[in-house]
This record gives sequence, structure tokens and C-alpha cells, in this order.
Amino acid sequence: MFRLWNYLRGYVIIIVEGYFIEKFINICAKRRIQLWDCRIQKQYLATMRMSVKGFRLIRPVARKTGCKVRLLKKTGLPFVFNKYRRRRAFFAGALLFLILINFLASFIWSVEISGNKELEQSVMEEALAENGIRTGVFKYRIDTDRAVTGMMLRLEKLAWISINIKGTKVKVDIRERKNMPEIVPRDIPCDIIARKDGIIRQVIAKEGIEAVAEGDTVKKGQILISGKIPLKGGDDGSRLAHAMGTVKARTWYEAQAPVILDKAERLRTGRYITDNSLVLFSREIDLFKKKNRFQDYSVSRNVKKLSIGEDLVLPVEWITIKYIEEKIVYAYVSKEDAKREAVAQAYDKALEQVPDEADVVERIDRFIEEDGSITASVTLECIEDIGMSKRIGGN
Amino acid sequence: MAVKSSKKNRRSAAGKDDKEEIVKKGAKERFVEMLELPKELVLDRPKLTMVGNCDIMIENYKGVAEYSSDRLRINTGSGIVRIVGTGLIIREITSEDIIVSGTIHTLEFVNAG
Repeated sequence: MFRLWNYLRGYVIIIVEGYFIEKFINICAKRRIQLWDCRIQKQYLATMRMSVKGFRLIRPVARKTGCKVRLLKKTGLPFVFNKYRRRRAFFAGALLFLILINFLASFIWSVEISGNKELEQSVMEEALAENGIRTGVFKYRIDTDRAVTGMMLRLEKLAWISINIKGTKVKVDIRERKNMPEIVPRDIPCDIIARKDGIIRQVIAKEGIEAVAEGDTVKKGQILISGKIPLKGGDDGSRLAHAMGTVKARTWYEAQAPVILDKAERLRTGRYITDNSLVLFSREIDLFKKKNRFQDYSVSRNVKKLSIGEDLVLPVEWITIKYIEEKIVYAYVSKEDAKREAVAQAYDKALEQVPDEADVVERIDRFIEEDGSITASVTLECIEDIGMSKRIGGN
Repeated sequence: MAVKSSKKNRRSAAGKDDKEEIVKKGAKERFVEMLELPKELVLDRPKLTMVGNCDIMIENYKGVAEYSSDRLRINTGSGIVRIVGTGLIIREITSEDIIVSGTIHTLEFVNAG
């Protein structure tokens, strides 16, 4: 830091010749003349560095100690500037460069969206564009507060959004809303109906009449606990209540996966062709124009945006397309291995369907053989609460 | 000249009551030690900081007595500090501290008193 500061301020390198160099150094130090990098070159001769301000004060010191002081070199930024003082075009170029950088940096060159899971990128981009945020827009025109409001109104799924402009990049961070379950207010009469098919295992009604018993098979939408309570004595008169309770039922989730015996594997041969192209202001320039000549191949596309630091993205992109040659190999897999893998796949698929609040109580693995091909099927038996409130008379 | 004369004085003083100095500490020093005050400030002692054998910083020094590329003598409140080495350069010097760089072989206190 010290060195850089000295370079920025400019300093001189001097040669001091005399019998009392120590004395010269001491007096300089006492008079607060900044001095550094003092080297004895040979007897009675030393070189040292000194600030420009110090150099102006050196004459009386030199006279007092009987040393001869010679200027060897002037270094530092002020001297460099001095040297190029007359070169107008150079300064004009430097100024132009600064203006250009500033001008280019006042546009948005990339929009970064994060936090979206169910909302698709294209939907987000479209919505942002409608609110004036897209690449190529003048960044001082963007009103982030208004864009936030616009986005919240436009996309119902949004729970929270933040839009930040950093350099030439817009950072959009969102959180998605979970769909709210319909809650029937306490004072409104309702039934409890089945959310899905299942076999009833337990019904506990806190309020209302149990409409099903243990062991009953219920269909989705069927009334489990009725809010219609018949009046005592009366034939068809009834009182409407807000039914409450839990209805546990057995449910099944099933998934299948094929057992693959001759598995095609794609092996990379190690040969590839890379095609580079340059994108300037969203116009693609293919630099080398290499054609793909492989039969079986996969393509990997790598886009690199040129940026200064992380946030100052420049309108220059470098795209590398890699064609990787592949060989398809049919590997023989033993029946056991293939079956095991298929079962594992089916199990994973089935487990994905099981809701969080359900407990898996049993797992049944089966293999279905059908015209030569085998399919693994995994059924998961669960116990879960299938009750859901529904207004009486409403929908 | 002032540097030389003070050096002479100290040498003669140290020669006379060498033993006494070791046994008996001055009242001021004892006082400072009791209160755990920083000695370099109160007693005008130098503070030496070395990084390996290549850098040495001496704070609170008095002056440079001798300087060549392999020998450096620095006047301090604890006598003369003699540094012997190769390629010694004074990297920085201000009125309070001095930083010496190079390969340092020995560091010696001459006429400590």
C-alpha cells in the first residue's frame, strides 16, 4: 500500500556521495524528509528514494554534511503524466473509453432469476419484460418499486419478490406461494368428504354423524362425516352442524418401471469437435464454422458472458458448442440386476406420490410379464387422513 | 559529532560499574516494572521487531551510527545495536523508526547500559 501510494505521488531516486552518508540519513529522518530504499552501492556512495517534496528540502542537508546529491531518476504517476501531457489524442482516447464504458454500463445486459421452482423461467422473463425489465433496457429508466408491484399483480403465484440492479445485471429473487387450503369457517355448516379413494380404517367424529364405518371402501368426494344431524323424534328434520373429526384410511400408491435387459449405453469415444462463436450485442457470429460429422453424439453448449467482476456484465458472449462422439454399446445385464434396478426405480416413483403426512405401512413388489417384456410394479400401502371440509350446499 | 561523544561517555560509564548495573536496577526501572508500563515509552528503550532473519524494525531509535551493506550500527536508548549481515538496506526511515532489510547474521547490543 505504501509503495503504491508513493508511486501515485511520484518520487525521485537520488545518488548521495560523501563521507557522512549516515549523517545525511539521520538529518533527513530528523527533518521528516521521507526516505526509503536506502542502499549502499559502494563505499561513500548510496542510492535512495525520496518524495518530491523532500527533494526540494535536501540542499541545506547536503551542504551541512558535505555530501554530493545527484538526481538519478524521477518515477511515479505525476511524471508519467507530465511526459504524455502534450499527447491530446491519448487523453481524448482515455476519456472516450471512460465515457463508452459508462454508457455501456448503463444498460441491462443480463437478468438473473432465482428462487423459482414451479414458475417457469420463460413465464418469469415475459412478466419481467412487461414490467420493463429485460436485456438491453436503459437501467436508469427502471423503477424497481413499480416493477415489484407490477410483478406481484401479474403473477398470482408470487409470495415475495425482490428486484435489484447491480451493475449491468438485474437480480430477481422470488419466493413462490403455496396454494392455500380451503378453510371453512367454524360457524358455517359443513361435511367432511374424502380427498381420495381408500378403505376406512378409523373414523372419529368430534361433531357430526359418521357416515362410513371401518372397512368401507370410499370414493373421492364421498361424505365421511355428515354435518346434517337428524333431530330426535322428527322424521326428516335435521340440524346443520360444522362437522369435525379425523378419518384415517388405507390408500395405495403404485408406480411401474420396465425391466430392461439389453441396456443401451452411450460411451464417449474421446473424440469431439468444438465450435466457437462470438455473440456481440445479441448477434451471433460463428467464427470457425465447423460441421458436426459424427453419427452418434451429444452436444454440450457452454455460454460464457464476459463480465467485469460479477455484476458488470458486458454485451459480449462466447459460445462453445462441443460435439462429443459417442458409441452405443448394448450391455448384457443379468435378469436379477435388471429387476432390482427396475424395482428401485418404481419404488422411488411411488414414494414421490406419497404425501408428506401419510405413513407407509406396507410395500408390495410385483413383476408383470407381458409379451416378452417384464415390468416391475411397486405398491405402497399408506395410512393417512383423507378428510376434507366442504360446505353443505356449496361447492 | 554529538553521536560520537555520547558513545564515549557511555563506554566509560559501563566499564566502571559493570557489576553494579547487573545487580542493581534503577529506581525508575523498578517502578516501571511494578506498574507494568511499556518500557519503550517510559524508559526510552527501543522496540525491536524481527521477521525471520530478513527484516528488522527498530522503533524509538536515536540515529544511524554506521551504515554499509554488511554492517549497520544504530544508536538506541539501550546502547548501540549492531547488525551484521549481507545486502543490508534501509527500507524505510522516519524520525521514530527504521526498517532494515537484507540477510541478518548477527544482532548485537554493544555497550548496553
